[in-house]
Formats: sequence, structure tokens, C-alpha cells
Amino acid sequence: MKVPTLLLAEREGFQAPGIEIFQWPDIVHLEVAGIDLSINRVVLQMFLVVLLVWGLFYFAFRRPRLVPSGLQNVMESVVDFVRGQIVLEVIGRDGLRFLPYLTTLFVFVFFGNLGGVIPPVFFPLNGRMALPAIMGICSLLLFISVGISQQGFGHYFRNALFPPGIPWPIYVLLTPIEFISTFVVRPVTLAIRLLANMIAGHLILSVFFVATGYMLGALNISSLFGVGALVFSVALIAFELFVAGLQAYVFTILSAVYIAGALEPEH
Amino acid sequence: MSDSGPEREPSARGAEMVWSIIGTLVAGVLAWGGIGWLLDRWLGTRYLVAVGILLGMAGAFYLIIKRYGSS
Repeated sequence: MKVPTLLLAEREGFQAPGIEIFQWPDIVHLEVAGIDLSINRVVLQMFLVVLLVWGLFYFAFRRPRLVPSGLQNVMESVVDFVRGQIVLEVIGRDGLRFLPYLTTLFVFVFFGNLGGVIPPVFFPLNGRMALPAIMGICSLLLFISVGISQQGFGHYFRNALFPPGIPWPIYVLLTPIEFISTFVVRPVTLAIRLLANMIAGHLILSVFFVATGYMLGALNISSLFGVGALVFSVALIAFELFVAGLQAYVFTILSAVYIAGALEPEH
Repeated sequence: MSDSGPEREPSARGAEMVWSIIGTLVAGVLAWGGIGWLLDRWLGTRYLVAVGILLGMAGAFYLIIKRYGSS
């Protein structure tokens, strides 16, 4: 049984990129009190995206004009989109106080995804678990605190864990389900949906580009297929651009849905 | 741009419902499957995790029907 694996490992020719393309070596090794705070390419990109998002909002609204132009125009339409399509649509007027959080979330997730299709970065920040997990936890803490402040501690958890209109013996069965579905499944699915989409997109792009290069470089009949693969790779870039926006939208709208659920108890 | 009327976009509501249903199903299996698994470890049995998963699915279905069945 050892021969085939050996053959496979030493095989000449096309090697498809795998999950190792998500791992980067440390640039600066740093350890504080046993906690690894090393800086690698992903961390640098994270700093960059934070700076970029901060800069976009700062310079767009530093000196706001009544008749917006340039950057202010662009950013106003982003805020308008989140306001109209997400906040008013899902939560209603009452939700406008969450507009800053949801707008920031939307823009930050979008630029975190966008790295996957921007040369020469070509790495989606949200293809690593850290940011999706943190943002999922942020949304979790936000909708819990909204629920508590809006309905009161006891009332909120009673509503969340004991759905009304059900005979009480069944609560034994349903309360664990409600607990897991509200406080565990929600943040976890928020994070994993984003993460998995970004991992899949990055892997597909990598495989296509590596394969394109390989086939074009072969300089035989497979170079013909390489041309086709190249065309398809460009189309995939466009598709990933769409996914980057879509996933930012989905993350934001589901956060809004959860906030809306905490604002008004189930009827 | 439409303001917050009583009519909300059906697609947003639909997506919300679908995610909530999937979430409830997963949560049912996780919650009672987890309880069954813990009981299995505690009692040294092997079948309670299966019972738990089925129980969780039944509970999740009940919850979904109760919540969305009438609308």
C-alpha cells in the first residue's frame, strides 16, 4: 500500500493548491505572556483594511457638503443602501440607531472579502476564522444586550427560551433547542457562512489560476485548454466580486434580523 | 427609497424564515444529540445519542410547525 502514495507524492506535473494556501509564515514573531501575537501577512492585511475603512468614512464625511460629490457621494450611497435595504426593511424606523454598527459591519466585511480578488493581494481576509468569529460574537452580544435593555432581563430570556402558546411539559423538550438555536447556532452560522464562502472562493480561484498557468506553460495541445481556463478564471473573478458583496449583505441583514427579533418579542 | 411601511420585502422575510428553520433543525439535533451523547458517556450506553438526535429533530419540527405552520 505504500507504493501508490509514494508515487502520488513524487508525481511530476500539476499540483493543485490545497488548504495550505491559507497559511502564512510570521513576519514578526511576537509573544506576550504566552499569547501568540505574531504578525503575518493576514494580520498586516487586517490592519490595512481597518485603516482603509476608517479612512473612507473619515475623508468622506470630514467636511460634509449639502450637495455631495466624489467620495462623500459614494459613501452616502453606501449608508443609504444599508439604511433603506437593510435597516428600514428588516427592523423599521426603530432600528435606525443601529445604522452605524450595521453600516460599518457591511463595509468592513465587504473589504475583508474584497482582498480575494484585488491584485496583488489575492487573499480574502475572511477566509481565516478570526474576523468572522469576532464579528459573529459582536452581533450575538449586540442582540442579547438589545433584548435585555428593551424587554428586561427576565422577560427577554423567558421569551427567547420559552416560546409562548405551548403546553408546559413540552418546554423540557423545546427549551434546550431554543437555547442552542438562538445563542449558539446564530453566531456560529453567521461566522461559518462567511468563512466557508471565502475559503471556497479562494480555493477555486487558486486552482483555476494555477491550472491556467500550468496548461499555458506546457506548450502542447493542453495550451488550448489553458486559453479557455484563462477566460473562465476572469469570469470567476467577477463572480467572486459578486460573492464578496453578497456575503457582506447576508452577514449584515441577518445581524439586523436578529436585532429585530430582540426588539420585539415573538407573537 | 421606500420608508418603513407595513409591507416588508418578501424576499428578506423569506430568507429570514429559511435560515431560522435550518437553524432550528440544526439546533434540535445539536441540543438533544449532545444531551444524549453526554448521557451515553455518563451511563456507558451507546444508543442514547441516536434517541437524542431523533428527539431533537421531533422537537425542532414541532417548533417550526408551531411557529410557521399557520402563516
